Amino acid sequence: MTIFTLDEVEKTFTNGEIEENILKGISLSLKEGEITALVGTSGSGKSTLLTIAAGLQPASDGEVLFDGNNLTTMSSEQVRKIRAKEFGFVFQFAHLVPFLTVEEQLMLMLEVSESTLSKREQKKEIDQLLNVIGMEHRKNAYPSSLSGGEKQRVAVARAIIHKPKVLFADEPTASLDSKRSKDMMELIRDLTKKMNITTLMVTHDEEMLTYVDRILQMSDGMVLENK
Amino acid sequence: MNIGWKEIKKNKSRFLILGSIIFLVSLLTMIISGLANGLSQDNAALIKDLPEGHFYMSEDAEETYNLSRIDSDVQHEIMNDHQNAVALSIQMGFLIDQEDKQQSVAFVTATDSKLFTQVDEREVIVDRSLKEKGIKVGDLLTNNQLRDELVVKGFVDQKKFSHAPVAYINSEDYKKMYNVEQMQLVFLPGENSAQNFTGLQSYSNKDFLSTIPSYNAEQMSLTMIVSFLIVISGMLFAIFFYMMNIQKIGLYGILKAVGIKTSRLFKMIWTQMLFITIIALALSISLSHAFNSIAPEGMPFHLTFETTTQLSIIFLVVGFIGATLSGLQIRKIEPLRAIQQGED
Repeated sequence: MTIFTLDEVEKTFTNGEIEENILKGISLSLKEGEITALVGTSGSGKSTLLTIAAGLQPASDGEVLFDGNNLTTMSSEQVRKIRAKEFGFVFQFAHLVPFLTVEEQLMLMLEVSESTLSKREQKKEIDQLLNVIGMEHRKNAYPSSLSGGEKQRVAVARAIIHKPKVLFADEPTASLDSKRSKDMMELIRDLTKKMNITTLMVTHDEEMLTYVDRILQMSDGMVLENK
Repeated sequence: MNIGWKEIKKNKSRFLILGSIIFLVSLLTMIISGLANGLSQDNAALIKDLPEGHFYMSEDAEETYNLSRIDSDVQHEIMNDHQNAVALSIQMGFLIDQEDKQQSVAFVTATDSKLFTQVDEREVIVDRSLKEKGIKVGDLLTNNQLRDELVVKGFVDQKKFSHAPVAYINSEDYKKMYNVEQMQLVFLPGENSAQNFTGLQSYSNKDFLSTIPSYNAEQMSLTMIVSFLIVISGMLFAIFFYMMNIQKIGLYGILKAVGIKTSRLFKMIWTQMLFITIIALALSISLSHAFNSIAPEGMPFHLTFETTTQLSIIFLVVGFIGATLSGLQIRKIEPLRAIQQGED
């Protein structure tokens, strides 16, 4: 079942009198629970496509449809609510809140997504997820005392604790070494499959493509291949 | 979850530094306000303690009360028409005590009124500060403009004029001392609007205070210092939070990307501002009031709870404005830029 559709999406940046067409009428759809990787050379437009799909910047033309909602016609507040409740984000760096413990990072995300769970249920949920990612013993630790791999695992937990429908991951393994990158991808794959979360991921690391269901090759603002 | 409080808990020293500076600035402001109030009392308690009303002095006195002379007919007319009207005169002078020491005083005489202490001829009632200088009830005081001696009949509390203790004397003695028949001023208490009397100019209590030499200059200087300190505290908040926000642009961008409302980030700053200001103010209020009770007797320091409440409200408002101004940049933060930049 299709959950996400991009229809003829274009993005043009204007720099003085020069207009640069970064995305040239991209159309694609994402199926529920599927992991899709966007690959391509630097400047091919993959990160721009991901951020437009995630509602972090508007498209110049075309439509972004998520679960029956047209993100391109919604107000920024409506898009923010969708981002908070239905989307999860993992970035190249963990970007954890430096003054919150691991448990509090996840608690904050549940609050932001307006979780209906009671405090007790939220704590239980957090404990379970931390247990799955092997970070239960570090739940009271601050980000400054975590290793790079641990930080990124917490970032993944923060991205999915509220059970989003779509996970957007922008180079999630770029700051990790090869071993940790594989562990991270395994974790993302296991969790998203278990929770039936659709994933759109930008990566330039070919080793990571073994963990995805579908690969979209981008070049010069267009999707060339659908592997 | 109160993320503002969480940040304070994690970065105690950073907030402690800001809190300490705000505490010192607010303490200094309260101490200077206490001094301003004290000097104001020292300069004009005689007038400040009067109920609201209007003073009248002759038009040709050019706002100088001791050049004013109220025409006797006009004075009688006013006194007949207004039961509560009081005619008074104030002149700076001195009294010589029994040890031949000269004490500067402000001689005050008034027609029959509850607002001014009444004394009989050849008697004087003086401000209690003269008691500390060795003057006792029953002492005989002299003045080289008066042939008779004045007997000290008692003391009054906190009656000062132009930084000198007030000496209430009878109008007959006053006339002999200054060789005048007319009174200088008429005071009409409780009048909402000034009356029109031939040849007289009206002054509200506040306007009359301005005619006291040095009163305005003294109060304006201190008010200026207090105003500057308040502005400085607002700027401190603005600069501190601005610097903090600059360091957290990436974090705010990520938080906005994951769906946190901008208003929540503002609430975080306001919580921190309120927390710091309330603690700093509580400490400075306690210390300044403690100082109020232990200040040396001769020091003109007078701090009321009304003044500290007003200053506290001003500090909170200024802190709020400072923090909000610094937070305006949060609104402009693009989540995308934060994602594209590296981790702090």
